[in-house]
Amino acid sequence: MITIRTVYFVVVLVVFLVALVGAAMYYLIRNRQRKMYPYGKWETLMRRLVAVDRENIVLVARDLVDENGERRFDEGELDLDPSQIWPLVGGIKGLEILERNCQVLVDLVFYAQQWYPEVLAVTEQLRQQAREIELHIQRIKSAEKQGQLESWYPNYAQRAVATYYVMTRRVLGLYEQLNLPGLAELQQSL
Amino acid sequence: MHLTGMMFFFWAAGLLGHCLLLVVLLLRGRARTFPIFTALIAGNIIKTLALYAIALHASKHTYLVVYFAFAILDFVLQLGVTFELARHLFCPTGTWAPDVRKGFMILAAASFLIALVLASLPVPPEKTLLGTLLDRGNLLSSALQCELFVGMIAFSTIARLPWKTHVARIAQGLGVYELIGILTEAGHNLTVRNSLSFQILTYVRMSAYLACVAYWIVMLWRDAPRPVELPEDVRKLFFTLKIKVEYDLRKLRAFK
Repeated sequence: MITIRTVYFVVVLVVFLVALVGAAMYYLIRNRQRKMYPYGKWETLMRRLVAVDRENIVLVARDLVDENGERRFDEGELDLDPSQIWPLVGGIKGLEILERNCQVLVDLVFYAQQWYPEVLAVTEQLRQQAREIELHIQRIKSAEKQGQLESWYPNYAQRAVATYYVMTRRVLGLYEQLNLPGLAELQQSL
Repeated sequence: MHLTGMMFFFWAAGLLGHCLLLVVLLLRGRARTFPIFTALIAGNIIKTLALYAIALHASKHTYLVVYFAFAILDFVLQLGVTFELARHLFCPTGTWAPDVRKGFMILAAASFLIALVLASLPVPPEKTLLGTLLDRGNLLSSALQCELFVGMIAFSTIARLPWKTHVARIAQGLGVYELIGILTEAGHNLTVRNSLSFQILTYVRMSAYLACVAYWIVMLWRDAPRPVELPEDVRKLFFTLKIKVEYDLRKLRAFK
């Protein structure tokens, strides 16, 4: 005779098996894809790149650094009022998007290593810059927790944006210089 | 108590398969790498011979009691094999990564709880205490092993640790067998002992195990592909990198 407990057992068993096989398949497919595409997949990389307001990024970054990423010491330096920087950056959410995009930028240069292994040096440089941005954002978050956001964000937010800007210029420059596939798509996205 | 024709076939095939596998493990030097797995196979040979002698000369109850004792030993050794495979996978240099070890302990505890809940759910019809314990224990063992294997696949993917050929083959065999084992043991928990459906489920499980043993014999006989030798300059680069990482680690630990 089928009891209610037997029904529960069968239901739990089916859920258990589906979850078990599903989890195993998910990780096995991930493993397989990693073997098939050791440098990542271009489409996946592009999907991970979140759209940002490029004009705002340029405006905030070029207030601090020049096109080559060198600190500006001319008269035009720091034209922006600190109160303008936060909305232009998009607040903490905007900074977090930049942080995630930085990882994609690092992966984009890593992707180029399949044709030019010597690009490794650039990948490492970008990795350090991404870490720098991460630290700036961490400082801003701690300042926010301590209620001192206003005195900290203009400096660190602008530095983070400037570093991001330099990173995008470097990645675009590299793809252009080496005539790598996907340059046009990258120019539109960054 | 006498073995039926079919049961005698499984008994003989099992004994032959285990003996061949033990010879492979010893001759090809795999016993040194997988001592617990070798102990499991040797234990199975002893179990098969002992149970045959008991089946011929002792009562059915004695047979069940000895079978139960061997089942506990089998369960402990199978867990040992899982730990052995995990050690090969997660501490290839001899040291467990602290985060992986902690995660693996949590996984083991959670897996045990889930398997325990699953095994305690069914109400077996008309069974003795020993029979019920055996069926529930087998279900618990299969579910636990499967969970641990899936967890190991997940951890190795996240930590990007490769499965060495023989480790992967032992795990594949055991994993597939335990997956079939969950289904057959679930069926055992819902059917009357010695009924036709119960017997069929037992044959399915035994056939799966024989296939698994045959797979291990072939795979463990074969040599693993030779790893590609590193060029001298890359080897030097890694050596320098290792020193740098050690230096950085010392600096980081000094911050505490």
